[in-house]
Amino acid sequence: MKLIVLAIDDNPVNLKLVAELLRQAGHVVLCAEDACAALQLLETHLPDVVLTDISMPGMDGLQLTQHLKADARLRHLPVIALTASAMKGDEARILKAGCDGYISKPFDTRLFPAQVEDVVARAATVPSA
Amino acid sequence: MLFETAPKNQERDMDLSATADAGETADALIVACPQGKVVSWSRAAEKLFGYPASEACGQVMSELLGSADAAPDLQAEAADVVYEAARRHRDGSLLQVNVRRQLRRDAAGIVTQVEYSERDVTQLKVARDAKLVAARFGSLLELTPDATLIVNAVGRIVLANSQAARAFGYERASLIGRPVEVLLPERFRTAHARHRSGFSQQPRPRTMGAGLELFGRRVDGQEFPVEISLAPLPTDEGQMVISAVRDISDRKRAERKFRDLLEAAPDAMVIVRDDGTIAMVNSQLERLFGHPRAQLLGEPVELLMPERYRGAHSTHRGRFFDQPRTRSMGAGLQLHGLRQDGSEFPIEISLSPLETEEGLFVSGAIRDATERRLLEQTLQEASRLKSQFLASMSHELRTPLNGIIGFSEFLIDGKAGELNARQKEFLGDVLASGRHLLGLINDVLDLSKIEAGRMDVTPERFDLAAAVEEVCSIASRTVSAKTITLAHALSGPTQVMLDRHKFMQILYNLLSNALKFTDDGGRIDVQVEVSAELMMVRVQDTGIGIRAEDLPRLFREFQQLDTGTARRHQGTGLGLALTRRLVELQDGTIEVASAPGEGSTFTVQLPLPGRATGAGLP
Repeated sequence: MKLIVLAIDDNPVNLKLVAELLRQAGHVVLCAEDACAALQLLETHLPDVVLTDISMPGMDGLQLTQHLKADARLRHLPVIALTASAMKGDEARILKAGCDGYISKPFDTRLFPAQVEDVVARAATVPSA
Repeated sequence: MLFETAPKNQERDMDLSATADAGETADALIVACPQGKVVSWSRAAEKLFGYPASEACGQVMSELLGSADAAPDLQAEAADVVYEAARRHRDGSLLQVNVRRQLRRDAAGIVTQVEYSERDVTQLKVARDAKLVAARFGSLLELTPDATLIVNAVGRIVLANSQAARAFGYERASLIGRPVEVLLPERFRTAHARHRSGFSQQPRPRTMGAGLELFGRRVDGQEFPVEISLAPLPTDEGQMVISAVRDISDRKRAERKFRDLLEAAPDAMVIVRDDGTIAMVNSQLERLFGHPRAQLLGEPVELLMPERYRGAHSTHRGRFFDQPRTRSMGAGLQLHGLRQDGSEFPIEISLSPLETEEGLFVSGAIRDATERRLLEQTLQEASRLKSQFLASMSHELRTPLNGIIGFSEFLIDGKAGELNARQKEFLGDVLASGRHLLGLINDVLDLSKIEAGRMDVTPERFDLAAAVEEVCSIASRTVSAKTITLAHALSGPTQVMLDRHKFMQILYNLLSNALKFTDDGGRIDVQVEVSAELMMVRVQDTGIGIRAEDLPRLFREFQQLDTGTARRHQGTGLGLALTRRLVELQDGTIEVASAPGEGSTFTVQLPLPGRATGAGLP
């Protein structure tokens, strides 16, 4: 299954790592360094999954997710949060914002592509409202 | 008037004094005019009644001596009348005198002078009265615990029980005949003599000097606080008074001690009666509320609180007196005090019942909580900032580590092309260092979370054998270079109710610690035992061991021990500290037994609440 992945991270090294890993796994990766750039890309592209960092300047990952979930054209897109925070309540906050899954940073590079594929597969079996 | 009369009388006075000089026991001679004014006053009269002639002459005799003699019948009275009467000395004390009264008439038979010849018979009367009361009350009064005295109509002690003699330090017999005032400190004597005549005019049983501090005076001059009850005792020999005297030194001492204790208390204290009025306060309370003591005593305690609490408070107060026990007031409520100037301030109060001879009181210790509330707010804010800092530090540190660890793995896995052996080895070092750093960050975060009370324990049912297997396998991978035997054994049920993640963290920490300090060829045994209420895990190694003096430091943060060897062991010394915290968080215990060169054995015991109560659950 070849996926088109939109990856958003304000840290260019992490963005590059995500892109490299997913490309190695055979997927197509669109990169955006902030939420605005991501929304611009989404005007012309329709990916299979959005992979977003949570803590970003400007619109953060949770706001972006809420924005996507409020958009009729985009709400079916599975959103995976990539988060480096470790505090209690973060997970609940992420899922409450509408994310379909989350992956903690630092992630295991050997498992990462499969984790992304899993979320997409799961989202496909649940018809979106 | 005195000035006028004195010179006139001087001559006559001198005449009389000559006759009075005849002997020590000479009778007092007093001459009065028919209207009762003194015209002559002998030296013996001066001595007997204390007034000099110059002062006595011109005064109405009955007023001067407080006498209640029947006035002479100037028409019919015989020339000579003899009777006994009471007289008042200048110092207020009373005397009993034998009076011989003679009327002097002129040639026409008109009375011109009344002559009194008076002899002190006080001691004779005392002897008479003493005999009378001793017969009637002597043995009875020995039975009462109080010091008891009977005082006759002229204020002399006519009976004293042995308790009284002891209390005042006198021989019992020597008290008889003394003015009762000898038992008082000198400063009270005059006033007392006056009060005493007041009492004999309106005799009724009562407590003396209600509300006043009364003192007795011992023969050696020492004073002591007393409480005195009085009752009139009418006899044929006149109105006597029976008086019970109680030495209240002990009570006063106890009261003073209590007062001192109140003053020594760091808190403001208020003692309240069961009717809600204030019985006592200390000066801390005066300062705290700005009310002087005098404004508070006897007032309802509700005076110290804002209007809005007063109604409910009196209800609560009633309930407290019904079921008195020490407790803090309004637990969980924000209580406020009201200062005299009308301002309010937050307070904390603890209440205790106080049983006394006078009934049940309640003592309240009141503390100004203004500073504490501020401190609490500051602490809350500090804790919030700390959490925020931790969250952001966690994020900031993990983000670059993601790149370091991720790309190292990426390269080692050959995803960017094949590497030679040296490149692979060095990249392996980068990766291991990155992972180590991540482990430390996680440990620091975990410790902080436990300290901040933000670490939850979430027990779940899981298979212990699988968890042990998993931890052992992860741990052994990190030391693949070493040839150490790692064995594990499990006894008892394998399904347990525990926080799975924390169990694995604890075991992992113990194992990596053991691996770190065990040399090639060594052995590590993991032994897990599950009983009805307890899970015990024991990690035993054949490592370098720990010196006895180092054991107490073992579980403290950043306390990696000096191993005494040239090598340094990786780590910050957080692992065991965190392990101890994780164990204690689950109400468990961790122990270590070790000897240098012989290895160490760490034993963790965790209670299994789920097994004890949830045995019947599916």
